[in-house]
Amino acid sequence: MNQIHVDSITLDIIENALKNARFEMDEVVRRISLSPVIREQHDEFPMICNNRGQMVVGQFGSYIPGVLQKFGDDLNEGDVFIWNDPYASKGSISHNNDWCVMLPIFHNNILVGFSSIFGHMIDVGGKVPGSMPADARSIWEEGLRVPPVKIYEAGKLNQAVLDIMLNNSRTPEMNRSDMMALIAGCKAAETRVRALCDRFGVQLYLRSCDLLLERTRSAMQVLIHKYIPEEPVSFTDYVDDDGRGNGPFKLTLSIYRKGDIAVFDWTGTDDQAEGPINFLIHEGLCKLFFGVYMIMAFDPDTLFNEGFYDLFEIVLPEGSLLNPRFPAALGNRLNTHTRFFDCQAGALGQRAPHLSMAAGYGTSPHFIFTGLDKNGAYFQVMELLFGGVPGRPRGDGLDGHAWWPLFSATPIEYIENYYPVIVERYRPIQDSGGPGLHRGGCGIEKVYRVLEPGEISIHDDREIVAPWGINGGKCGGTSSKHILRNGATANERLPSKLDNFAVKLGDKIIFKTAGAGGWGDPLQRPAATVVRDVRNGLVSAAQARSAYGVEIDGNGRLLTKQTEALRKEIEKTRGVVPKFDFGVIPLKVTQ
Amino acid sequence: MRLGIDVGGTFTDLILYDDENKRLFRAKTPSTPADQSIGVANGVKEICALAKIDPSRIQLVLHGTTVATNAVLEGKGARVGLLVTEGFEYTLHLAKSWTPGPLFGWIVMDKPEPLASLEDTRGIPERLNARGDIIKALDKEAATKLIDELCTSGIEALTISLMHSYANNTHEQVLKQIVAERHPHIPVSLSSDILPEFREYDRAITTVMNDYVRPIMQRYLSRIEGRMADANVKSHLHIVRSDGGLMSAKAAAARPVHTVLSGPAGGVTAVADIAKKTKRPKLLGFDMGGTSTDVTVIIDGEPTITRSTEVGYFPAKVPTLDVRTVGAGGGSIAYASELTKSLRVGPRSAGAVPGPVCYQRGGKEITVSDANAVLGYLPPRLLGGEMALDLESAHHFMEQLGTQIGRSLEETACGVIDIANEVMLGALRVITVQRGLDPRDFGLVAFGGAGPIHGNAIAALLGCFPVIVPPNPGVLSALGFLHADFKNEFVKTFIRSTANLVTSEIWSEFEALNASALKWLGDEGIAPDQQQIKFAVDMRYEQQGFEVSVDITSSLIAEKRFTDIVEIFHAKHDQLYGVRLPVPVEIIALRVVAIGTTPEISPSVANAESTASHALIETLPGYFGGAWVDIPHYDRNLLSVGEKISGPCIIRQYDTTTVVLDAHWAEVDQFRNILIWPTSAGEK
Repeated sequence: MNQIHVDSITLDIIENALKNARFEMDEVVRRISLSPVIREQHDEFPMICNNRGQMVVGQFGSYIPGVLQKFGDDLNEGDVFIWNDPYASKGSISHNNDWCVMLPIFHNNILVGFSSIFGHMIDVGGKVPGSMPADARSIWEEGLRVPPVKIYEAGKLNQAVLDIMLNNSRTPEMNRSDMMALIAGCKAAETRVRALCDRFGVQLYLRSCDLLLERTRSAMQVLIHKYIPEEPVSFTDYVDDDGRGNGPFKLTLSIYRKGDIAVFDWTGTDDQAEGPINFLIHEGLCKLFFGVYMIMAFDPDTLFNEGFYDLFEIVLPEGSLLNPRFPAALGNRLNTHTRFFDCQAGALGQRAPHLSMAAGYGTSPHFIFTGLDKNGAYFQVMELLFGGVPGRPRGDGLDGHAWWPLFSATPIEYIENYYPVIVERYRPIQDSGGPGLHRGGCGIEKVYRVLEPGEISIHDDREIVAPWGINGGKCGGTSSKHILRNGATANERLPSKLDNFAVKLGDKIIFKTAGAGGWGDPLQRPAATVVRDVRNGLVSAAQARSAYGVEIDGNGRLLTKQTEALRKEIEKTRGVVPKFDFGVIPLKVTQ
Repeated sequence: MRLGIDVGGTFTDLILYDDENKRLFRAKTPSTPADQSIGVANGVKEICALAKIDPSRIQLVLHGTTVATNAVLEGKGARVGLLVTEGFEYTLHLAKSWTPGPLFGWIVMDKPEPLASLEDTRGIPERLNARGDIIKALDKEAATKLIDELCTSGIEALTISLMHSYANNTHEQVLKQIVAERHPHIPVSLSSDILPEFREYDRAITTVMNDYVRPIMQRYLSRIEGRMADANVKSHLHIVRSDGGLMSAKAAAARPVHTVLSGPAGGVTAVADIAKKTKRPKLLGFDMGGTSTDVTVIIDGEPTITRSTEVGYFPAKVPTLDVRTVGAGGGSIAYASELTKSLRVGPRSAGAVPGPVCYQRGGKEITVSDANAVLGYLPPRLLGGEMALDLESAHHFMEQLGTQIGRSLEETACGVIDIANEVMLGALRVITVQRGLDPRDFGLVAFGGAGPIHGNAIAALLGCFPVIVPPNPGVLSALGFLHADFKNEFVKTFIRSTANLVTSEIWSEFEALNASALKWLGDEGIAPDQQQIKFAVDMRYEQQGFEVSVDITSSLIAEKRFTDIVEIFHAKHDQLYGVRLPVPVEIIALRVVAIGTTPEISPSVANAESTASHALIETLPGYFGGAWVDIPHYDRNLLSVGEKISGPCIIRQYDTTTVVLDAHWAEVDQFRNILIWPTSAGEK
């Protein structure tokens, strides 16, 4: 076959243009959307694919061929597809809250690609506000499921489908606007891709997409040969519980190389849970996660795409936490999702210091507060919280920052302007950052006082199994939740997965997220840095002494000689420093 | 006589305009980074000598400064103390919890130290709610203790930023009073004063930034005023604000955060002036310098103003001319990625030192300027002959880079330029297509040292013609300062749904803001016929996170036509983002802008009576359209008005070089701008 020649520089130009288009998609969605979850916390993920549905630029990998199967050739200009059912879309999205929008891109009647974005809708129905019941036993409890359908057919809105979808949400207007935002984002990509075809010609554009896939593939081949050993490396981490009293749940990953192929084998992972922590992951996504992690650690400017898919082999045992059978509940899958990443870091980090990140706060903590205000109007506060970002080769983990990309905290003044709550305190938790040469980030304490009666829901993890430290770093602090009832003097403990818990006016909810593990030997951390952490309230004098061997006087000043002596003493008596510090892992109680 | 001064990293540019005789003078002196005021004073002497005038005849000195920006970017600001509401001491430390994308972006994130450190932050017992009601009284005694301890710890300035202070500034005022009584030497900024808008992090960081740069700015301004006085300049000094307006030096010393984009503002203002003069209301400004490129959009002859910008890592919520900066300039370094063998350009820059390879200051990495030199787009000597280019070394290093990616010398050099162009194009797209504007409706003003070299290629990609190269592209910013108007903005945060709004509240708020604006104009001594007032409402769909600022006419306010205002918002949202939403609209803030206009600049044009053949300097090989051809180099000063020349050719002048590509032609218009057009569009 006669292949079109694309010189490497044209290819670089197209790469830059596609990257720009992808950022433009983000920006369009962020500007228009109403839901703070999409806007402030960036829970939306765009991509641009070639005409075979392979992701050329984006970060979550393509699911398009699977989705298109049932439509065959029925693909027209002006069509826009939408769905939110993880099972009917082969795990392209992993819970019902994510509405995924996708449209084919035509150039003079020739299919030249696809653009797609999925974003987190604040409510899609089901038995609790927010649609992620912490105790669900099947996906039937988690809201309306829409299989891939055309919401626009050749440019015409399918009003019936939209009406059904909105009729099943507690926040119909918000969902409508957010869906419009997702479609506008996809349209922006459509315009950009068409312009590229105008400029370079369709054939050259399509060939360039292939070459971009190939280029990322050959870069990945180098990384695999360099950093994935033939002999398997394994790592195990745990999700605390499934919200129904079962757990902890084990995830085990083994990584090894078979010739050119990197094998990621999850054999040994626990069976699927009764509760909603099951993570139905699309195999392609799974490959992309590994790929992106390695690219970020080695050459962040490399274009992410799925060109390297054939270099990875994934084993996801059927019926396990990572490949659950229908109709397993999926709503709270983020805990498992994050533990997936923790296992990846733990396994890869054993052989390549570039890749050795510690564990972070380990989920995406949610706080939801609903009720009726004084005028009888329904309100729904939904906030994501943050925690410790892992200690890393580059330096300390960040305190109370987002592990997830581009998320940012909703301003407290925003929340207080729109909802009946007052935030009393928002600060990092002392000693929750795992000690290390590079300290793990601290978890966050946020105290809400509610100004109306209503119900709260909480989703969090890392309450039992701490975020581990690496290369001599120690584990970080665990999470906890409390309520201080109006007029009471003592806190009551709340579980980390909780739904529709009644609160009264004046009650305070104390939400503490987990910290992150440290990186490297804490005895090597410059004493002055430890003193500074103590002065800033991030580390206590007691932890400075016990974990870092740093002695500080009553005025917060470093005692140099005592510190030297203490550090020598600890070094002599502590024995062999393990590669990982897990803290205490409780025995498994059920399964 | 008006004097514009632009202090850059390498040169200080000055422009003097004689209003009476309509004459324009320019001077360029080396900048003196250790104390910029020395270079400024030298420049003033030089330009006055050139114009043969006594410095005392200068009536207005207009100065754009990067002192504030550089202090933030280089982390060299003052030690700032910060008072916040108890419980929120970590607001700056947590910095909205943001980490960069993509997935695992935190692995490579380098977070700078906050502009006010945790050690210098104190929590004050007090609390307001969102409506400004006091829900916890201010504990004065405790506050005084904390203030005493902080103010004696060595801080140089103090920021007070309490929760919801935009709704009620009483507590901030009380604290300020305490500091004024007990520690009068410590300058204080209140968040309710600097940025009376909600969102606690943005308000705090903007106010802290004000204090962070204030002592430096004060020292700088007093040094400059001193040197001006020594040079017998009698006029007051005025500073250009980030939104292109002017403020007195005194105001700049109190609110220096309003100058963070003072430097690029001149260029934007100058482009707007070109738009008015040439009657081309839609222009793109393309200011390409050594390390970065600033792009901007002019619509209806006016620049766009945004409400926020970023200075390095930190956001600054101040009115700013909408300038987008990308890290690609003449000094951007080209390299081959180790992993993918792809060619990349920037954002790393060779800067002034070591600079591009061909500048012979020790640069050993290929830059965009080297690619231009290798392809014959630069004259053999720059700056009117003062600086010879070392082409041999540029060839050598370009070949090395070519070997790494398997391309020839010319292909590599073209690639470096094409990729740099693509990066800059990304920024131009963001300000046009991304906002629903078609770049083909625009012309492109190319300026800065490297803008006229790349302008034609950029325009060819984007379809925006003509390319306009103004007569003084290297000193356009300084020229722009002369066009700046006096400006101040008065804002009221006013969060209300339009659903059940009592509209009379809006009209009375506007009245109060209008009164403040008029008072300010009077205080600044602006003559009534030069006074202008503009009105705007920031609106959004309920629960959206970003406001759209809607300009409204005074008649809409006078006639109280509120539904029309809402309709303007719907239309603007539709134009910007392609959708109208069926949800209620809410108001976030009301704005009134007071403007004192300055007289127009219209230098008389001395026409060089010449023809292209007279202007021809020499013929040299250049790489155009994939082949080496002999192309003419012209002297710009000898090209006369109305003259037309065809590409490819090079037009040389003192501070820049204009490249006209093949299949394009150029003409000189009545203002002595060079206009470049594609041959396909006809003429010539």
